[in-house]
Amino acid sequence: MVGAIGFWGWVGIVVLKAVIILIFVATAAAYMSYAERKVSARIQLRHGPNRVGPLGLLQPLADVVKLFFKENTAPKGRERFLFLLAPSIAGAVAIFAFAAIPVNGPTTIGSFTLHWDLIHVNVGLLFILAMTSLGVYSIFLGGYAANSKYSLLGGLRSAAQLISYEMAVAFAIMGVIILSGSLDMEQIVTKQTGLWFIFLQPLAFFLYFIAGLAEGNRLPFDLPEAESELGAGYHTEYSSMKFAFYFLAEYINMVIICSIATTLFLGGWLPPFAFLSFIPGVIWYLVKISLLLFTMIWIRFTLPRFRYDRLMNFGWKVLLPLGLMNIVVTGVVIALRAA
Amino acid sequence: MNWALWLLGAIAVISAISLIWSSHALYSALSLVVTICALSVIFLILNAQFLFAVQIIVYAGAVMVLFVFIIALLNPRAEERPRVDWHMVLGILASIVAAVGVWTMAGSTAVVQNGKIRGAVVGRIAHPSSFAYTEQAVNAHGNVQTIAGQLFTTYLLPFEVSSLLLLVAAAGAVYLTHHARKGL
Repeated sequence: MVGAIGFWGWVGIVVLKAVIILIFVATAAAYMSYAERKVSARIQLRHGPNRVGPLGLLQPLADVVKLFFKENTAPKGRERFLFLLAPSIAGAVAIFAFAAIPVNGPTTIGSFTLHWDLIHVNVGLLFILAMTSLGVYSIFLGGYAANSKYSLLGGLRSAAQLISYEMAVAFAIMGVIILSGSLDMEQIVTKQTGLWFIFLQPLAFFLYFIAGLAEGNRLPFDLPEAESELGAGYHTEYSSMKFAFYFLAEYINMVIICSIATTLFLGGWLPPFAFLSFIPGVIWYLVKISLLLFTMIWIRFTLPRFRYDRLMNFGWKVLLPLGLMNIVVTGVVIALRAA
Repeated sequence: MNWALWLLGAIAVISAISLIWSSHALYSALSLVVTICALSVIFLILNAQFLFAVQIIVYAGAVMVLFVFIIALLNPRAEERPRVDWHMVLGILASIVAAVGVWTMAGSTAVVQNGKIRGAVVGRIAHPSSFAYTEQAVNAHGNVQTIAGQLFTTYLLPFEVSSLLLLVAAAGAVYLTHHARKGL
């Protein structure tokens, strides 16, 4: 990796990628909030933001400025250190996870191969899962540190929910791992040339997407922040930039979930038909995640929220057995074809 | 990457000390999470990517979450204890003895070789027959593939037995909770 371009060239590329990821993540999160408001407005026959800039396009910018200047309130009996730590974990972990997502195929320039993900490890998929699994701490500690019962209940619920649905996510993606024989995100995409895994693993795709909604605290699984029962859930007591970090993390998590779904099931940066390959891979990747993100927003404003016991039952008694079944069937078919 | 190893080692040791010293159980648990994360990044630098991911997913992301969960639910008060008592003196003495013992057994020359920390060398000393894999050999096949190959051939029986043990433990936990609920 270091060979062809020298040490400082390598450092430069890593820093450049990190800066691009930070800018992309911040912009994506800001405009996801805009998209969510616009789409929800359309679904509910309203106009949505339309005052700041043309079509309200500068609204996210105004929101960020507002968040910066808002009064920073904090409850009295809080755990000072944890109260500050929790939102930082949320933001950091979400950005870390994004570092291992390949937005384009490896590009070879002379003797140097440029990988489009920041951290290229051969267990990229596990890396992302590991990082997102640390996100539980931010939600739970945030709920605990605020010393408020709404926050604590929200935090407790979310910790249980995230751990339960992590299992469902793991089982759903196992089918793809068996098919591709690799945990390397780039290799998984390359194996899908010609036939995307969604056609071979349709069940796994739906299981992953549903479990992903739960992992991202999206409706119909947004129990950690059920506003009708919990105020706002784990971030009830947060304001100003601390709240903004939670907000940012939630939208980045959505992007990550859609990115993983795109990479594993929808062929990542690959075009749908070979003759369309003149369009750069990054564009295809962005188009695909945009479609999935739109679906997520669409679902949010269409479906009501689950009841808590139903949520747990659904995760453990429906998603998990279906995921296991999918693994067994995939394994048997692959073994039979090999024989 | 040598300096990174020292840095991570320092983080791991400091958070381990804070795990023991902090008077609040929740901070102890969180210090342990930091230790686990630092160790897992050391695994990553030593080319054990799979161990890195598993360490974080299983320990930091699942087991420790439950610990933190329980501690926060029980919400124990901060411990009140004297600054120095005979427990502490004894503990410090014992850890010094243990550290010296490990250092002499592993051999200081083997751990730091030509100014480089050698994880592989330490591993080979601890278990000479099993450490036949160099970094190049593992990376040629892939980390996961090498570990899986070993688990399902050489160590198949211990692997299956340990999974059976876990299953028994899970069934036992389910039985105990149901048993308790009947009495209520």
